Amino acid sequence: MNAIEVAGLSKTYAGGVEAVRSIDFDVPAGEVFGLLGPNGAGKSTTIGMLTTTIVPTAGRARLDGHDVARDPLAARRVSSVVFQEPVVDRGLTGRANLELHGRLWGVGADATARRVAELAEVLGLSEQIDREVGSYSGGQRRRLEIARALVSSPRVLFLDEPTVGLDPRIRHELLDVIAALRAREEMTILLTTHYLDEAQRLCDRVAIMHRGEIVGLDRPAALLAGLGAEILELRVSGDASAALASLRDRGVATDAAFAVGSTVTIPLAGRPAADAIAAVNDSGVRAAGVTTRASTLDDVYLRLTGAELAAAA
Amino acid sequence: MAATPVAVPLPAGRPARARTTSALATLARRRAALTAANPRQIAVPLLTPIMFATVIAPALKTALGGLHTNIDYTAFVSVGTVGLLVPLAATFAGLSVLVDRDSGAQRELLAAPVPRALLVLGNLLVVLALCAFQVIALIGVAALRGADFTISASGVAWFTGAAVLFAVLSYGIAETLASRVPKQEEYIAATPAIAIVPWFFAGALFPIAALPAALTAFAKVLPLTHALALMRYGLVDPKGTGLHDIWGMSNTTAEAWLSLGVVVAFAAALTLLAIRVFSRSAVR
Repeated sequence: MNAIEVAGLSKTYAGGVEAVRSIDFDVPAGEVFGLLGPNGAGKSTTIGMLTTTIVPTAGRARLDGHDVARDPLAARRVSSVVFQEPVVDRGLTGRANLELHGRLWGVGADATARRVAELAEVLGLSEQIDREVGSYSGGQRRRLEIARALVSSPRVLFLDEPTVGLDPRIRHELLDVIAALRAREEMTILLTTHYLDEAQRLCDRVAIMHRGEIVGLDRPAALLAGLGAEILELRVSGDASAALASLRDRGVATDAAFAVGSTVTIPLAGRPAADAIAAVNDSGVRAAGVTTRASTLDDVYLRLTGAELAAAA
Repeated sequence: MAATPVAVPLPAGRPARARTTSALATLARRRAALTAANPRQIAVPLLTPIMFATVIAPALKTALGGLHTNIDYTAFVSVGTVGLLVPLAATFAGLSVLVDRDSGAQRELLAAPVPRALLVLGNLLVVLALCAFQVIALIGVAALRGADFTISASGVAWFTGAAVLFAVLSYGIAETLASRVPKQEEYIAATPAIAIVPWFFAGALFPIAALPAALTAFAKVLPLTHALALMRYGLVDPKGTGLHDIWGMSNTTAEAWLSLGVVVAFAAALTLLAIRVFSRSAVR
């Protein structure tokens, strides 16, 4: 059974900005599904529509079988969300924030107390749980928000850019926490991120969003397989697009190659790197630098969108 | 951070559906806890009304000779300052809505499986409790200062009913404004026009009959004028002089019911408006 079903979902804001354009995807129960893309790609708007805080312009979405537009209370009852920006009562203790969630989601007082104790332990918050949230560090507050979302044992958990703004150490620790959530067989996770390494590490499948549309959707390994294991990267001093066209004309680069900025990226698709470099030299394209490396989801993204993810993020 | 977690406990069971009343109580408890964490929100709105009731009213009574009726002017002004205290308390509470939206947990509450009207009503319950505390403190201080109140069961009922309804409509205005304005600065800038200006026209410090005819007519359409007349009918002036100034009828009880109807209508309309505006502005 699908925990999340999205069909033709669209959102056009006042003023005509099309944030999401008729996207379709299903997420089976228990899957970790990633929405990738830079800021402005439509990821948060999609989560907003799924959590009923943004009204869709068209299309439909269901959470655990509940239509988010027709039965929003039921859809909200089976889901929780960790927002991109801090969304907590800073004047209350961590425990009070978690208990509030439990009560609003209809968890009994005893069960809430048990869950709060368990989650505080698991997420390393036992020492801070009775302190005001205003005194928490950024990483502690993030872990508290994840703990809060889990108090009600949601069938669908939304994580909207959960590691954005955190320092690298805390970010990696938090990724461990999220990876541990996969032990929960009944929970489906929809994660948005513009850190592609996070998606590669955590997600069963990813959808790449660009300008409100899904331009690629598959398992990370399958998306990478489309490029091959190894990449040849050329830094050219002139027009990279013209260099790419020249390389294609001479059969050095296939349609899978792409140019962004001053870099031409050529998937090797099993061809020996030395042969490819020799072919580039023979083509007359002047490269200021040539490197080979393993392909990543960044390459998949750039090939699909032609945009520089890091710059846009 | 503690040791890297290796597993998250499995759910102990699906949560039961939260009942509406339980959710409302939860939301009210949350607002109360946040309010209690900020004692200034409780104390500051009291300062100006208490100054009016204990310093300015007795001084005006001494300087000008009072109302030249059997009504005690200090008691008259003390009840009049309820008309300042309640909008100020409601406006402060409205500011909390903006804080919730800008840096608090509003989005978490919007994602909760409860009707969004409850978010407004939960805040309203705390505003009513806060106003009750503040009004009792104000009247108590005024009584200690020598204000002469007429206490009866029916009078207290009229006073309480009018005060509660006025608090409801005041919070309706505050919540609506908080939902509409994008910035706290704009909200604060609008506060005098909403919380203070009507107070000058509604007969807080003098009977509305003392105003020029055009302003008297204007005062009669203000819900605050009706609320103050009812509160004074309850605690200060059983003859209902303020009600006569509004309605010009001979039956005081009928006048009181009419004024109560006006305040009920405003309270209901403004609460519904607040819920509608909040529900529509909270989602995009």
